[in-house]
Amino acid sequence: MIGERAKESLERVFSGAARTRLTVGDGDACEIAGLPAGASPPQRRVVVLTIASMRFRLLLLLHFDDDAATRDYYAADAARPLADAFMEVANLCCGAMNQQLVEHFPDLGMSTPYALGSECVAYLAALKPAWSASYGVTIDGAVRIGATLCLCTSAPLDFVAGEIATADAGGELELF
Amino acid sequence: MAKILVVDDSSTVRDEVAGFLRRNGLDVDTANDGRDGLAKLRANPGVKLVVSDVNMPNMDGLTMVEKIRGELGNSAVNVIMLTTESSPAMKERGKAAGVKGWIVKPFRGDAVLETFRKLAG
Repeated sequence: MIGERAKESLERVFSGAARTRLTVGDGDACEIAGLPAGASPPQRRVVVLTIASMRFRLLLLLHFDDDAATRDYYAADAARPLADAFMEVANLCCGAMNQQLVEHFPDLGMSTPYALGSECVAYLAALKPAWSASYGVTIDGAVRIGATLCLCTSAPLDFVAGEIATADAGGELELF
Repeated sequence: MAKILVVDDSSTVRDEVAGFLRRNGLDVDTANDGRDGLAKLRANPGVKLVVSDVNMPNMDGLTMVEKIRGELGNSAVNVIMLTTESSPAMKERGKAAGVKGWIVKPFRGDAVLETFRKLAG
């Protein structure tokens, strides 16, 4: 149901979004490594977002721990819980993916982010995904988070998407 | 009376956007979702500019705009959507509802401050 080009495209779109939206500082490094098939990231908390079209539903799960490195990186300046700050980071990452994918699928819509425990990840199999893949993501050598892409299709899916062109995308006001 | 109402279910975004506007001398109130935003606008019809997310629980941003124009009969307030959504269909729905402009997140305050000042004036 999903072609190899589509899998590669989704990985490319995710990588571009992660590098531009999961990092806080402009020059911060973001290393992404694929995990073995069937393996889940070890972090205990998950933020889930969905991008849906008539032809597919893509779940983006971002796994994190409320540890000192993650808290210092994402919530150092704020007096709010890490989960709140991380949900917005996840929202921006998924939004960047959505922005790239909408060029190929104009009917896309996105969910709001919601937080779950990592125990829920095992139930992704119940969705009978056409494809799923997990990644370890290391930010600036210190912050370790995880990501899972889980794709359910209702029609054959194949497309080619490039990587997000620039970290500066977004933020401009389009007046009607 | 606040001149700008920032509507977003994310406290991070509310703090970021409202904080930036307040630091630049603008009078700002916030709301947690579309339903809260509609209630605050009903209570304070003097608001000149609404900056709202699209995807929110209880009531989404575009439904809120439709109700501002319909139920409240308020055609004067300017509404800017600040959202991760960028689909043409979503923007068309916004235009039809009376949205004035669209910003795809992230929020970059310096890029929009002067326009916000004019729309809130």
